[in-house]
Amino acid sequence: MSAYVVGMDLGSTSAECVVIDERREIVATAVVETGTVSRKGLQRAIDEAFGEAGIERDLVRAVAATGYGRRLVPGGADFVFTEISAHARGVAALFPGVRLVVDIGGQDTKAIQVDEAGRVERFAMNDRCASGTGRFYEGLAHALETDIESLGEFASRGKADLEISSLCATFAVTEVIALLAKGHDPADIAASVHHAAAARTLGLIGQVGKASPVALTGGVARNAAVVHSLSEALGEELLIPENPQITGAYGAALLAAESLDGGSQPDQNATAPAPPHDHGGSGSCADCAGSKTESSVTMLTLTAPSGRVV
Amino acid sequence: MASLLEDKSNRLRMTGRGGELVGAYWDELFTARERGAQVVWYNGHALNPLFQAAGISWCHGEAFSARLAAQHLEGPAQLAGEEYGYVNELCSYSRTHLGCAVLTNDFGESETGIVDTVDQRELASRLPEPDFFVNGYQGCSTGQQWDQMSYRILGKKVPIFTLSLPYMFGSKPDAGYLVGEEWETATDYVVDQLEKLIEFLEVQTGRPFDHDKLGEIMSYIKAASQLRREAMALCMAKPAPATYWDWVASIAHINFMPAEQRLIDYFQGVKDEVADRLASGVAGVADERYRLYFDGIMNWNKLGWLARKFADADAAVICGRYTHQNFWQEPQLIDPENPLRGLAQHYLLCSNSQGFKTLKQAMTKDCDDYGIDGVIFHASRTCRAYTNHQHLLARVAENQLGIPTAFFEGDIADAAFYKDEILETRLAALLETIDAKRARN
Repeated sequence: MSAYVVGMDLGSTSAECVVIDERREIVATAVVETGTVSRKGLQRAIDEAFGEAGIERDLVRAVAATGYGRRLVPGGADFVFTEISAHARGVAALFPGVRLVVDIGGQDTKAIQVDEAGRVERFAMNDRCASGTGRFYEGLAHALETDIESLGEFASRGKADLEISSLCATFAVTEVIALLAKGHDPADIAASVHHAAAARTLGLIGQVGKASPVALTGGVARNAAVVHSLSEALGEELLIPENPQITGAYGAALLAAESLDGGSQPDQNATAPAPPHDHGGSGSCADCAGSKTESSVTMLTLTAPSGRVV
Repeated sequence: MASLLEDKSNRLRMTGRGGELVGAYWDELFTARERGAQVVWYNGHALNPLFQAAGISWCHGEAFSARLAAQHLEGPAQLAGEEYGYVNELCSYSRTHLGCAVLTNDFGESETGIVDTVDQRELASRLPEPDFFVNGYQGCSTGQQWDQMSYRILGKKVPIFTLSLPYMFGSKPDAGYLVGEEWETATDYVVDQLEKLIEFLEVQTGRPFDHDKLGEIMSYIKAASQLRREAMALCMAKPAPATYWDWVASIAHINFMPAEQRLIDYFQGVKDEVADRLASGVAGVADERYRLYFDGIMNWNKLGWLARKFADADAAVICGRYTHQNFWQEPQLIDPENPLRGLAQHYLLCSNSQGFKTLKQAMTKDCDDYGIDGVIFHASRTCRAYTNHQHLLARVAENQLGIPTAFFEGDIADAAFYKDEILETRLAALLETIDAKRARN
């Protein structure tokens, strides 16, 4: 029996794959850093997800794709959605009632206002400027001689608010180097850049209009300093998924499942197959496939004071 | 959306005929010197009826830049402009045309070696040097200086006349579309300016200006415009028998082609074809599912591409600010017996000259009249004048009309500023948002 729907998000810096069962619950996830849009990276994500779920591929009912590389899915996708709709749907499942989604990925920032059902009402995207995106923070981390995983914690130590005049992904690095040369504390510089980038994101949100509650998705949501700065700029807590990178892939899978079922709700009485899976300590899909409900998604523990853990 | 393997756009057949007319116009201009005609370079509003009445050959700078871009021949001129010293953030219309001035002037061997002599010969030999300049631009600061720059490039050797045109803020209590003190006062002012321009033309040509000829010319324009507007109105039907791209393709004709019987014949042909399609149920987009409004100047490098791209998504772009709120759009204002007033009022009606209040009113009316589902904004990188109000207009569409919007970046004549993936994603998201709205309703 074909039971599973696969959602894939092939972005500019990573590939994500999510497998959901017929109750639309996540049974496996995989995130592969690719460096750029990569068919091979997507294939690796698919292999990892299927390996984790331990399911046969002929049990897959449909494949849905989103992201810049959505047309690169091996064998083609049954459904294709934009990241905007996919993130909106994913967030609506993770956090019912959210009205504003801010997705910050590898090179895009999106502000998406959604209705009560998670349907897109309006959206705005950054223009061709990578300010405040994953690429931007990679450059910042490099200039500050730290790694991207540590950048958020590093910036959280900063106290001063320095003036950052350029948020161009290229020129900001030049400015950071100049500030370092003047003897400023690298943590202060990191914190100041995060504040400035948050202010810019606020402008994008202004285009669609602020609405509450707000969820932050995309890989950059793992950066605690971004969460803190944006939360402070918005004046409210942000909802952060446990694994913010998979939100688009998850949303694409849900949209595909709903399309297959004519928009109906999942059959809660359906019995999901119980695939053997070994999480290997990743915890990302939880030992949960048979019992987890949408509202019980485990949240990433953040050091940011404003990121609410649900 | 699938890749563009199949062309689902259904452009009007008359577009081909129109292309021949435009080609003939430029060929005639390129030979103006051989015919002993005087040549004026001008920018901004459609001053061509005055030049035609004065017996002068005219070159509209923006139009020439747009033509080069549409033919993918803009590269050498833009490179020449950059080599001369203009940065690529400058309006690409002006950068292209200024590049033409550089090439026309034939400075000899390129200083930097970037623009080679082949480029110089190809372009310089085609666009004849001007005998004088006339600038008539408002709402765009680059436009106001553009001919001044050309004037300097050509060594300040030819006269220049700058027409002063007020911006229509629409802020007075009685201000409104075609009404109010501001409208009347501004009209009187521009009429006075046109009378001064006519005096300048008389000096340049050494002949008295032919006012009867101007009246005759304006009667052709009035008739052509009426036909164009009637043909556009037929596209309120669902599905629309023609699309925005068809109206873009006929901008040249209404905006700067010689006003004569064949102009009327052309627009009669356009209207007949649209009416025939309507009668036989033929649509401008094979499977029209979405009706869009396009705000922004045309991305001339991408006319055919965009027509196919939107059609591929079953999106019929029906109307837009550029095509529907410009170019003799109120023909009832034209009085062949008193032509200067109608000319002046159309210069004031250019959407570049209008404050937000009027733009909002016009967009709202077009969205209502044409049954618009979504608005797509072309944020032209080097045209600040046209992008100034776009976020305000988007807010009106979203909040007051309940119509979803999306932006994509591109440019009027510099292809480097357009990225297909950006439009691809945003158009798909716009259509998904329209679907979501329909589902809600």
